[in-house]
Amino acid sequence: MQWCRLFMLGLSFPLQAFALDEAKTKDLVKLIDDRQRNSGDYSSIVFIDQKEKDGSNKAFEARVYRRDADDKWMILFTKPKAEAGKGYLRVEKNLFLYEPALGKWERQTERASIGGTNSRRDDFDESRLADEYEAKFVADEKLGRFEVHRLKLNAKPGVEVGSPILELWVDKDSKNVLKRQEMALSGKLLRTVYYPAWEKMFSKSKNAEVFVPKEIRVFDEVEKGNSTTVVLRDVKLDSLESNMFTKAWLESQSK
Amino acid sequence: MLTLLNIAFRNLLQAKRRTILLSFAVAVVALLFLVLRSVSASVSERMIESATTLSAGHVNVGGFFKSRRKGNDPLVTERSAVKSFVKEQVPEAVSVIDRSRGWGRLISGASSINVGFNGIEWEEEDRFFNALRLAPEKEYRSAGGDRTYGSFDDLKKPNTVLIFAAQAKKLEVGVGDTLTFVTEASGGQSNTVDLQIVAIASDIGFMSNWSVFVPRQTLLDLYRISSDTTGVIMVYLKRAEQAEAVMGRLRQALKDKGWTVMDHDPNPFFIKFDRVAGEDWLGQRLDLTIWSDEISFVLWVTTALDLVSFFVIGVLAVIIIGGIMNAMWMSVRERTKEIGTMRAIGAQKGFVIQMFVVEALLLGLIASCIGITFGGLGLAIVNSLELPIKSEGVRLFLMSNTFRFVLHPMQFVSTVLLFSLITGLAALYPALKASKLRPVEALMQSK
Repeated sequence: MQWCRLFMLGLSFPLQAFALDEAKTKDLVKLIDDRQRNSGDYSSIVFIDQKEKDGSNKAFEARVYRRDADDKWMILFTKPKAEAGKGYLRVEKNLFLYEPALGKWERQTERASIGGTNSRRDDFDESRLADEYEAKFVADEKLGRFEVHRLKLNAKPGVEVGSPILELWVDKDSKNVLKRQEMALSGKLLRTVYYPAWEKMFSKSKNAEVFVPKEIRVFDEVEKGNSTTVVLRDVKLDSLESNMFTKAWLESQSK
Repeated sequence: MLTLLNIAFRNLLQAKRRTILLSFAVAVVALLFLVLRSVSASVSERMIESATTLSAGHVNVGGFFKSRRKGNDPLVTERSAVKSFVKEQVPEAVSVIDRSRGWGRLISGASSINVGFNGIEWEEEDRFFNALRLAPEKEYRSAGGDRTYGSFDDLKKPNTVLIFAAQAKKLEVGVGDTLTFVTEASGGQSNTVDLQIVAIASDIGFMSNWSVFVPRQTLLDLYRISSDTTGVIMVYLKRAEQAEAVMGRLRQALKDKGWTVMDHDPNPFFIKFDRVAGEDWLGQRLDLTIWSDEISFVLWVTTALDLVSFFVIGVLAVIIIGGIMNAMWMSVRERTKEIGTMRAIGAQKGFVIQMFVVEALLLGLIASCIGITFGGLGLAIVNSLELPIKSEGVRLFLMSNTFRFVLHPMQFVSTVLLFSLITGLAALYPALKASKLRPVEALMQSK
């Protein structure tokens, strides 16, 4: 019936107006990366609270340093005393763990958990989704009170990423990622990460705004009951020491 | 010689109390020595059995494949070609099998553990399955009974897994339950597979805590690698002692055939990841090891045990030597007249020395024989009773669920010889002093 078809067409029009085509999806993913990238340096204090399914808790305080221009990244644990001095350093696409008690450096995979928690390096590092993934629009949805775009990302061939399949829920208004799910090659859901709050800061080096998450909540979907909450404070985009991203510097902080 | 033995025997009988006390001391130490050696031999043999069942052949042809300069995949490509060549070059091998290897986290509803995965071809693994037995339920469930569940045959099915009792206990699972295995596939991407437990085997020492077994294809699918790759080709020989010679021969043969072979590094393959990642080459390199290389990280246990044994026995031997020397001194003093008389009628110094040394040797021989008899009997009785070991720590250390000790004839023979020698040597100095007594002085002293 003609009027029925017209009615359905009219109904679908507003839906189509919100759906993203391939180009817009790509642009959105690039925007997500760009908003989080800083051309200069980055430092913050993070509080990491790990809850295990057996009820035990672990809490850490650490400092995170980044130099996005050189793909360098470091995390230095400061509390508790037993963990103080321990650190992770990423240079030239290699991630190393330093154990001050042993005085040893150990190579880690990119997927290594940070301090035995559910967090990983890429939770603290800049976003590189556009470089690492092909994105597809899935649907427009509601996440709580937020209107979101839901995207599915598949790792580009030959790219080393921890999670080959991602799903993102991106706030339509702010364009911030609110939820992220990571799947294994088998399709099994591995982690769900929530970003309940974002902070907008002005970067002098970039001469533009940069968005940093204020809080990250990671839920282990395989070992249910394990979760990590990361709270970021005192985020600064000022320049750091030039020799900072070296093993020697990190070792010196442990002494 | 008969005369000496006669004299020695009569003198031992004459000083009954001293003989009994010394014999008791020597017998106890000999017994202790036998037990410690038996424990060490048991741990060592079980370690070899465990290693060559679970994770290594007598000779292993493993290797690394680097597709990127900083990569280090522990793979052997051209599996069929390498395996055929190995079979050809080692005709004396009892069997040649291959296994794929992986590492990751095994997760149940209750818990999770990190384990090494072994992908096996069921048809090739007779030796493996013959070494295992299905664990009775009580080995992994506190309220469990004697019944066993599952079957090794079911490992032919895809996405199945064989685990060990201690793992089942930690994960709180039984046959039929599902476990999720999470690992990094090729390219470092996370991958998972759900596996059904088809069999739970009794533990083979602490090494079985780190190993589980799945069908080979399951592992290949998980890691997204081709079927012509494998983790390691394992060669089993009639005797483990042949391993080093066979490895040397195979290394040369593989090189001559055109494969690149890494320098021998007597360590397990997983110790070499960092080094290989740092090396600047691409492609395939083979790595040959023997069984002891693959378990070098635990061999220190038997070395430590041997060192402790020898230290303890050494201390006790020193005490025995002191006791024997003291007893011989007393004997010399008591028999000064006898020594003087014998020397006066023409006995040479050598005869005097032999007299005392043979007496001590005889004491050591008889006492150590008594010691090893009781020790051997005791160990044999314990073996026959198959007493279960309650303590998990002791079970892991002895690599067995029951008290079982290895007894070799050589252990008995060497114990007797050693303690006879110790007692004989202990008497040497007093015997030398006795032989130097001048007959006149000896006869005068005795007055």
